[in-house]
Amino acid sequence: MNKKYIFLAVLMLVLAFGTVFFKETNRPKETPPEQLLWDIIRPNRYVTTDQVAKMIIQGDPSLEIIDVRNDDEYSRFSLPGAINIPLDSLLNRNNLLYFGVPGINVVFIANDDIASDKAWVLTKRLGFNGTYVMKGGLNRWMETIINPKEPSVEESSKAMATYEFRKGAMMYFTGAKAGSLETGSATVTIKRRKKTSAVAGGC
Amino acid sequence: MGPLIPNGIIPGNWNFVIALLIGIAFGFILESSGFSSSRNIVGVFYGYNFVVLRVFFTAVIVAMVGLLYFDHFGLIDLKRIFILPTYVGPMILGGVMMGIGFIMGGFCPGTSFTAIAIGKLDAVAYLLGIYLGIGVFTLAYPAYAGFFNSGFLGNITLTQFTGIPAHWFALAFTVVALVAFWAVRFVERRIRKNITEYKF
Repeated sequence: MNKKYIFLAVLMLVLAFGTVFFKETNRPKETPPEQLLWDIIRPNRYVTTDQVAKMIIQGDPSLEIIDVRNDDEYSRFSLPGAINIPLDSLLNRNNLLYFGVPGINVVFIANDDIASDKAWVLTKRLGFNGTYVMKGGLNRWMETIINPKEPSVEESSKAMATYEFRKGAMMYFTGAKAGSLETGSATVTIKRRKKTSAVAGGC
Repeated sequence: MGPLIPNGIIPGNWNFVIALLIGIAFGFILESSGFSSSRNIVGVFYGYNFVVLRVFFTAVIVAMVGLLYFDHFGLIDLKRIFILPTYVGPMILGGVMMGIGFIMGGFCPGTSFTAIAIGKLDAVAYLLGIYLGIGVFTLAYPAYAGFFNSGFLGNITLTQFTGIPAHWFALAFTVVALVAFWAVRFVERRIRKNITEYKF
C-alpha cells in the first residue's frame, strides 16, 4: 500500500480520536428555558431608583451601572459612573466580560425598563447571575430623584422619609442648594396612621 | 463566528453567489475524481471499482471531524446549522429508488451534469429523464402525499435521537470508513481478475 495513504489514514484516525476529548465547557452555560421563564416572572431582578441612588451616594464598590441606550442618548445624560453598552452590542465578547464577576452587581438602565429587561434576559439566558434592572429606568429616576414630589400630609412617615432622602439625593446629583428643605417631621408624626404600614407590607 | 449568513457576517443576498461558487467547485471535484464516468460510478455496485465509496466516505469523515473541530474552536456554531427533516419510511423508499436509478442510468443527478459538461450523450438522455421524472412526480403528488409526509421525526440528528455525543459517531464513522477503504481493495482485486473488457 502507498505510504501516503497510510499516513492520511492514521492522521484522520488521530483527528477523529481527538474530538472525543472535546468538552462542552468552552462555551458559557445556558439557563434552561423553564428556569428562565420562572426568573422572568419573578420581580426580584428589579431595584428601585432609591436603592440605586443610595448605592451611588455611598460609593458602593459592588455596583456596576450599565446604560443600554445608544451612544447618542448616553452622551446627553446618564447616571454617574454608568458605562455605555448599547443593547445591540451587549453580546460582544469584550462586553460580556462585565458580567458574572464575583461580588459585582450589574444594574441595567435605559429610558424605561423595557430595554433593560431585554438586556437582563439576554445575560440571564447566558447563565450570568448578579444582574438587575432599575425599575422604571431613567424616566422614573427623573420623577423620583431629580424632581421628587412632596408627599401630602396624610401619607406615612415612611413616605416622608423617602421624600427627604430623595431631596438629599437630588442635591447630591444636581448640586442644588439645601435651602427649602422642610423637615416636617412634627406634622407627620401627628398624622401617623397605624395600619398603613401593615397593609402596605402584604402581598 | 459561523454560520456566516445566519449570523449576519455575510448578507443573505449573497446566498446564490456563494451557491454558484460552491457548485462550480463541487462540479470540478466530481469531474476530477472521475465521477463523470458511468463505469467508475456503477463499479461500486458490481464490486470492481469503489471510487464512489472512497470519495464520498472521505468527504463525509473529513467534513464530520472538521465541523466538530470548527465548533470546538468557535468558528461555527453547530446548533445553528440547518438539519434536513427526517421522514423515515419515505426516505428509505427514496434511497432504494435512487440506488436503482443510479445503477440503471450510471449517474447520480450531480454527476450527470459533470458528464454533460465533458460532452457525454448518455448523460443528456439521463438529464431528460430527470426532468421527465420531476414532472411526473409533481403531477402525481396528490396520489401519494399521505405516504410522502409520513414518519416525520423533525429536524433531528443522530445525537438527539440516541443521546450519544456527536464525537463518538465521528470516531465510529472514521473507523468504519478506514476499514472499508482497506477491505474493498480485496473485493476489487478478486473481481477485476475476471474482467477482461475494461482496462483499469
